[in-house]
Amino acid sequence: MTIESGLTVLDPTSTLSIATAGMAARPESLAGKRIGLLANDKLNAERLLDAIYDVLADRFEVAAFHRVNKGNASRPAEPGLLKTFASEVDVALLANGD
Amino acid sequence: MKTNGTGTATKRLTSKAEQVPDALAAVETYFERGWTDGLPVVPPTPGAVLAFLDAANLQPDVILGVETTKGAVVTAEKAAINAVMAGCRPEYMPVVAAAVQAITEDQFNLHGITVSTMGAGILLVVNGPVVEQLGINSAESVFGPGNRANATIGRAVRLIVSNVLGTRAGDLDKATLGHPGKYTWCIAEKVSRLPWEPLHVARGFAADESTVTTFAGLSGIQVGEHEANTPEGVLDAFAVRLSALGQAMQEVLVVICPEHAAHLKAVGWSRRQVCEYLYERSRAPAPEQISLEGVKDAPLARHDALASPDAVVPIVAGGDGGGWSMVIPMWSTGAKTRSVTKQIMPSS
Repeated sequence: MTIESGLTVLDPTSTLSIATAGMAARPESLAGKRIGLLANDKLNAERLLDAIYDVLADRFEVAAFHRVNKGNASRPAEPGLLKTFASEVDVALLANGD
Repeated sequence: MKTNGTGTATKRLTSKAEQVPDALAAVETYFERGWTDGLPVVPPTPGAVLAFLDAANLQPDVILGVETTKGAVVTAEKAAINAVMAGCRPEYMPVVAAAVQAITEDQFNLHGITVSTMGAGILLVVNGPVVEQLGINSAESVFGPGNRANATIGRAVRLIVSNVLGTRAGDLDKATLGHPGKYTWCIAEKVSRLPWEPLHVARGFAADESTVTTFAGLSGIQVGEHEANTPEGVLDAFAVRLSALGQAMQEVLVVICPEHAAHLKAVGWSRRQVCEYLYERSRAPAPEQISLEGVKDAPLARHDALASPDAVVPIVAGGDGGGWSMVIPMWSTGAKTRSVTKQIMPSS
């Protein structure tokens, strides 16, 4: 077998064009905040958010809770849904339910 | 930079190029970077990549498809690089290109099926004259090893998913168990044993056109039936398996082996008759409410394995000997993914 001496090879990968979103700044307190709970449509996501709701409702004087289910675990939330959700809450928690 | 006589190619290609001492060094380098499927790859030199693009009449910057969730753009150049790495021949490139076009259609839900814990593989079913031209296996051990076209075309698609979409096992790919078809999964339909029209003709293409159909398939379940010699007897074996696979499945691939197909062909059963029979016979209440999603607590009044006769996609493939067929359920029972057929443009 003859092996070539000196070989130029190409990169098979690509750079994804969608930037990864960072975490939002933490609020100093949840008091008086509107809390958004966004489920990814899996059964355990709702259960997890139920538990989080119980804890937050017990410990903090929040202004309101707003629960949304994005309706399809395997696809991103619709932009309109996220825009509306963001306008209705001060803090958002997302649950993946596997 | 040394170009090994491929100066023209490197001017046309825009991927980052680098120099390695030799082919074995390239293989090891690609292993180290996580650019393989765990098996050695063919070093993608500019000359080889250009030959692949030329074979498919593609310019490097042509966009074959976009996976919108991650914003991953699959150019012809990146597809060709990965096809070279997979061990394809240049003339396979049109099939790889068509497969990329198929899996990036919205209804295929490429992001979902490749990152999910459910662990689907991407099955390619090739039809038309290209099957014979490229020597794609549709016969003995059709899902097994030993044929270059089957092995490398399917592998190329997986490497594209891994390298261009960045969907690698343990990273974005969160499959609990994975799937052997994720190494490679490509077959041809065995037209010579079909009781009816080929899959691509049933989907509106001309018989002399070539196509690739992509399925987000879960593990196949073998269907053995060696005594029945009537359509009803043979298909009841399929219905038993289908009945246990899920509820209201919207798409399932039924791979009928030649021996079973012969019993359908002998009495002139149509594709539609098969679909309707399987729909009716897989509706019986199941002994347990078991589905691909797990065991359900609440009993159901009736178990509809298939949402409709249209959920059944029957094809014929496999060796002539042995009554072994297969049913292949789809990811999410087909509710959130659907197979896609694309025409393969002729090779130059």
